Amino acid sequence: MARLKFLCDTDRCIECNACATVCKNEHEVPWGMVRRRVVTIDDGQPGEKSVAISCMHCTDAPCVAVCPVSTLYQTDIGVVLHNKDTCIGCGYCFYACPFGAPQFPRATLFGTRGTMDKCTYCAGGPEENGSDAEFAKYGRNRIAEGKLPICAEVCSTRALLAGDGEVIADIYRERVVARGFGSGAWGWKTAYYPEDGA
Amino acid sequence: MSDEVIVHGRDFVRYRIGGAIVAFLLAIALVWQVYEIFDGDARTVPEIRWGVTEYNGTQMGPQDAPSALLTGQALADRTTFQAERYATGPSPDQQRPDYNVVPDTMMTTSPMADGEKLTQSWSIYGDDTGALLRPAQRTEGISSLPYANAALFERPFARDWRLGVADLAVHLGAMAILGMGFLLALILAVRGRVPIAHGRSNRTVKRFNLFERTVHWMTSISFIALALTGLTIAYGKTLLMPFGETVLGWAGWISTWGHMMFFPSFAVGILLMAVMWMGRNIPEWRDLKWLSVMGGMATDGGPNPPAKKFNAGQKLIFWSAVLGGALMVVSGVTLMFPYYWASLGTMSWAMLVHAIIGLMLIAIFIGHIYIGTVGMQGAFWAMWGGRVDRNWAKEHHEIWLNELEGRNGGPAE
Repeated sequence: MARLKFLCDTDRCIECNACATVCKNEHEVPWGMVRRRVVTIDDGQPGEKSVAISCMHCTDAPCVAVCPVSTLYQTDIGVVLHNKDTCIGCGYCFYACPFGAPQFPRATLFGTRGTMDKCTYCAGGPEENGSDAEFAKYGRNRIAEGKLPICAEVCSTRALLAGDGEVIADIYRERVVARGFGSGAWGWKTAYYPEDGA
Repeated sequence: MSDEVIVHGRDFVRYRIGGAIVAFLLAIALVWQVYEIFDGDARTVPEIRWGVTEYNGTQMGPQDAPSALLTGQALADRTTFQAERYATGPSPDQQRPDYNVVPDTMMTTSPMADGEKLTQSWSIYGDDTGALLRPAQRTEGISSLPYANAALFERPFARDWRLGVADLAVHLGAMAILGMGFLLALILAVRGRVPIAHGRSNRTVKRFNLFERTVHWMTSISFIALALTGLTIAYGKTLLMPFGETVLGWAGWISTWGHMMFFPSFAVGILLMAVMWMGRNIPEWRDLKWLSVMGGMATDGGPNPPAKKFNAGQKLIFWSAVLGGALMVVSGVTLMFPYYWASLGTMSWAMLVHAIIGLMLIAIFIGHIYIGTVGMQGAFWAMWGGRVDRNWAKEHHEIWLNELEGRNGGPAE
């Protein structure tokens, strides 16, 4: 059984932001929100690295555990989805998220939060797969079509890998062996293997 | 509040039976809560499974074993296209290979039952993967995207935050609230109400004026509304889930907005109470003596350590309300205005403080409500009508009564 993951090869990411842009376009993500971002570490310093980050679809996902209204749920391929109809905008998932993934549109003048939005791994939501209602709330459902997230499939340097965890780990390992260096799988310890330490 | 003349706590028979029943029910709830701590369902478990329903012209049910296997295979096959171009093309060396598994129709999603196994197997890794892992550490850089918090890559603290809220605050809070209720019901069952030991004198003295009472009830109604909406958010998933996710969602939504609606009157009330009563609530040595005998509430005839207008128990309640209330207001306003003056880290701590202090305040004020209503005969009228029986005042606030009646000093200690 496939366990889907994201892996960003920071030695390849060139901060072109194509992943962030194509994500917004594919899912028609509203103004003010962003499901995938590119973060640059040590900008302008030797050893500068860029890394694309979105929801990592964690093992033992903390957002699902803290949600007071059962809005968030996980599926058998590891993907964490949300139900906009029950979300109350409390922000708990946001405090519990190790990657800052959940986003909240501003609902009123008083800064209160609207219903949460986050990366769906291009897997839609609880509505019927591929329906218009699903698209309006969650964006395209590529997983149901047997495709993978567009951010990874569009990546020109193939820095961002998405799909079965074993396969992308093999691709990355082979790459590291061929070129002789690699800074590892960023965020994997926190996202996928939380049990020992951390 | 009955007006019969009862001078022994044990004679409040109906109250004691009621207390016994409530104590029994709360004991069951406590046992259930202890079970919830140790039943090992704290881990997130997948609830939905994907399924291929048609492949190469063959139909299958979304719950059949091949359905899930084909899903995994289709996605794993697709993943291989992200390998190097010399292997997968398009490149001079290699044409793009064919797909292996492509479902004929859209995949379906349906509920699943055995998610626990998946969570377990996902968190195990071998040496190959272990070599890839970097230590979990807070990582923040810069981002060219103009959004709040866009520059954050990773903050492992969030996993601890989850433990703090989902395990610590929620479970210990439930223990505190149920435990307080159980203890009080047990006291009522064993001891009965605290009576006016000398019976009613039928002469009353003025204890709280109209303004004081108005402020008290405004604050208390706000507090109860805030507590109920807060408890819905904290425990709704456990208590309301049986009625369905839609009910839970609506209850949560009403609670979120209700919680914000009742905050201004609460904040104003706390401020007014602080101004009105702080002077009379400064701790004194006398209070230690009062506390050492628990104000004499265990036995009918006292000892009743003399107290001024507020005894040590009431001072503790006052300071819980003022200090706890202030913390709640400050942390709550911080949470209402994301990023106005607090970063994500600060907001996380504000949320933890808000949850833990809130649950503790609810437990404490259950005690306050108890002693002000069924727990003690005659106490309720102080805050309702503003006047209390003179014998009640003499037993619980002797120095204050003496001051009121123009006598100097308290009794010999």
